[in-house]
Amino acid sequence: MENAAPPNRTIVVIGSSTGGPRTLETIFSRFPLVDAAIIIVQHMPLYINSSLCRHLAKTTQMEVGIAEDGDPVEHGTIYVAPSDVHLKLVGNRTIRLFNDEKVQFVRPSIDVAMTSLEKSSGDRFAGVILSGMGSDGAQGIRHIKSIGGATLAQALRTCAIHAMPRAAFETGKVDQMLPPEGIREQIIRIARTA
Amino acid sequence: MTEVPCQRIMVVDDDVFILEVMKELFEPEGIEVVAVESGDACIAELKKGFRGVVLMDIMMPRKDGWETIKEMLDLDLMEGNVVAMLTAKDVPDGELEYIKEHVIDYITKPFEADEIVTVVKGYLDYLA
Repeated sequence: MENAAPPNRTIVVIGSSTGGPRTLETIFSRFPLVDAAIIIVQHMPLYINSSLCRHLAKTTQMEVGIAEDGDPVEHGTIYVAPSDVHLKLVGNRTIRLFNDEKVQFVRPSIDVAMTSLEKSSGDRFAGVILSGMGSDGAQGIRHIKSIGGATLAQALRTCAIHAMPRAAFETGKVDQMLPPEGIREQIIRIARTA
Repeated sequence: MTEVPCQRIMVVDDDVFILEVMKELFEPEGIEVVAVESGDACIAELKKGFRGVVLMDIMMPRKDGWETIKEMLDLDLMEGNVVAMLTAKDVPDGELEYIKEHVIDYITKPFEADEIVTVVKGYLDYLA
């Protein structure tokens, strides 16, 4: 994952839990190579990490891999947060993994990843919340909105479990509630207008 | 050597009709169905070595689906399995949020036959 880095970044953080993997597969079905780095924080057991990457890699032109500590944030890449550690972005440029306590029962936490993004005049951000129990990601969506990012959540009728997107929506900071296909189109649009 | 994809599912449901429906749906697809009527029977199958996709009903007498998953975790029987809840409840119990990372999906009954076969085949591929 080492390439020449453009000066600015478009970073999309997707938070997903129960019911999320099949939504992710829809979002990344025929997903083109776009000028953005995409971070996926999926609540899942460790032994599923590589399988999820493999599934996503089948249908997208983006490079897909399990995020490693110290990875530079590169456009054209989907980074899947590994289980059992928190993922943060340092200076919007470097992925760091931390073995801190669970947050809202989970590690990695969507909130931890999203709130690590730093306001920057050159970088662009988007946060997306998919199906899942609980409210992880709501604080993250509030943060991404506060730093000028775009915020999306999965349309409730399309969720296996709608608690997480509902909690995000209830912050009043979600720009759009969209079905998986709409989320895909919106991410592509955000990346291409970067 | 080519790895043989996992082609086994376990359906855990006290509703015998659901167990029969699942057999009718999956066995013609070449997928072995282990059908059990209780959480205890599920644990017994796991102890015997079952690994695959587990479709778990939530509301069962004596030991419900969530309690069964907690026992799977306590007994270290989770690894190598993908667990999806199979339920008539459209809203999960919030207090059980702490095991959510072990539940990949939440499939609400009644379900579309084609849809559940596609979804479960996808999860079987996770274990390949």
